[in-house]
Amino acid sequence: MRHVNSLLQRELSAFFLGPMAYFVLLAFQVVAFLNFWELVDTLAQPQREFSSLRDPMSTYIAGSPSFWIAMLASLPALTMRLVAEERRSGTIETLLTLPIREYEVIIAKWLAGLVMYWTLLLPFAIYLPFLYRQAGFFFDLGPVLSLAIGLTTLGMMMVAIGLFFSTITKNQLVAAIWTFAVLFLLVAIAPLFYVYAARQRASWAEGVRFVAILYQIQGFAQGRLDLRVVFAHLSTTGFMLYLASLWLASRENRV
Amino acid sequence: MIEVDRLTKRYGACKAVAGVSFSADRGEVVGLLGPNGAGKTTTMRMLTTYLAPTSGRARVAGKDVLDEPLEVRKRVGYLPESVPLYVEMRVREYLSHRAALKDVPRSRRRSVVASVVERCRLGDVETRIIGQLSRGYRQRVGLADALLHDPEVLILDEPTSGLDPIQIREVRNLIVELGEAHSVLLSTHILSEVEAVCGRVVVIASGRIVLDEPLDEQSSRVLAVVEARGPIDAIRAAAETAAGVERVTRAERDGDHATLEILAREGQDPREAISMKLAGNGWPIRRLDLRRSSLEERFTRAVSQDALKGGRREGE
Repeated sequence: MRHVNSLLQRELSAFFLGPMAYFVLLAFQVVAFLNFWELVDTLAQPQREFSSLRDPMSTYIAGSPSFWIAMLASLPALTMRLVAEERRSGTIETLLTLPIREYEVIIAKWLAGLVMYWTLLLPFAIYLPFLYRQAGFFFDLGPVLSLAIGLTTLGMMMVAIGLFFSTITKNQLVAAIWTFAVLFLLVAIAPLFYVYAARQRASWAEGVRFVAILYQIQGFAQGRLDLRVVFAHLSTTGFMLYLASLWLASRENRV
Repeated sequence: MIEVDRLTKRYGACKAVAGVSFSADRGEVVGLLGPNGAGKTTTMRMLTTYLAPTSGRARVAGKDVLDEPLEVRKRVGYLPESVPLYVEMRVREYLSHRAALKDVPRSRRRSVVASVVERCRLGDVETRIIGQLSRGYRQRVGLADALLHDPEVLILDEPTSGLDPIQIREVRNLIVELGEAHSVLLSTHILSEVEAVCGRVVVIASGRIVLDEPLDEQSSRVLAVVEARGPIDAIRAAAETAAGVERVTRAERDGDHATLEILAREGQDPREAISMKLAGNGWPIRRLDLRRSSLEERFTRAVSQDALKGGRREGE
């Protein structure tokens, strides 16, 4: 594991030295700004029975369509290049003939992806202290904390999925499309299935509800720190990283 | 240092490398020569543990490429054909990053990088961004990278492609210098390069080895070319009995003159004996000189014979 640090450094410097990081960051900044505006706007209205004052984090992040659209669009764009880019440029050959283990490469790339993911969320975080101190809106810190934990484990899982697809393809676009498809299924399609199944009173409705990322994160935003979901995220992460390492270590798949 | 035993690589139905065997000792520079698509790069990739052989064994620096890939990688410096580099990094930054990954201790990293920079003459570009370097400099950065951990075996895939003549000479000198302490396996399709730097040549064509020989032994075998006026059969018979002659390889009539190609015995020069013999018989000599059988001829012969056999194999 002693090589992970060197590999991670190079990965992050490649990311932050290119223009890509700042474009994505800017886009997220715009989304965060609009969402924050909307949040402040709703908070300013007089309280009604079903006001979003009850859980402001859902309005701000978890239930916001623009947040999810931005996330689904940019996460695949960030993870697609992790390994596929090395394959395209041929540097994979010099990388994998180094005296390092393949899982070290995967872990370093995954950590780099995770740092990129946190960078995406940063614009959302920077507004909250202003709301708290400047505007004197004393929201609960509990839901903020559980949402942070939930988004972190979710990010670990999503980056691992993206990394897996980036590892098994040579073409970055294919990796991005697969990552998007899987995440779209989990975020947007699963809730539709749940609604359908619940209407049919199907026995699998609860199962679909459990894997639907939208519901998971809304739960976290309401302050429910569901450890089953955390465990599901972490185990999926481990499994995807394991598969990616196996694939990368296999000398049969290389050309 | 390098032992390759019936190494085979298959892609589906296509055999890229078909049962290749050869070896290289310490301090030997071996040239892997062959036409494009012959399987040179695939063979090298198997030796550097990038690809797994379909069958056969290979040991590099005493370690098996399948069983102990990490041990092999510690002992091999590899320069791939396309010289892939991280283009956004600076030369020195890249080399010190690679040195860290190759387990060069932190305390020695600076001096190791400085020494390969000097060896590969990268001093004037070491703070430049790799993406802005010319092909020749990139090639040298790749070579410097291969030397970082002072490997026992160097595997260089076309180390001089894309270089200008002066750079080619520099890189060749470097390879010769490296060959004194390391074993070097280099691939190329430039014949003169093999003659300039290699102690041995392995010619590979359509995945098979068609020629494997030390270079000095072959170049000491010479061909004498004689043109003399007289009856061709008698001249031929006389020449064959001269001292130091192995056999006559070619005899042609050209007007009144006969042109003979005579293969000498190993380490001998039969010219004087031939001239005495022919002049003694009253056949005036118009030309008598020596020609070394060039690597190019042997290469062409070996590869085209293989192509013929290949045609026959296909026909079967």
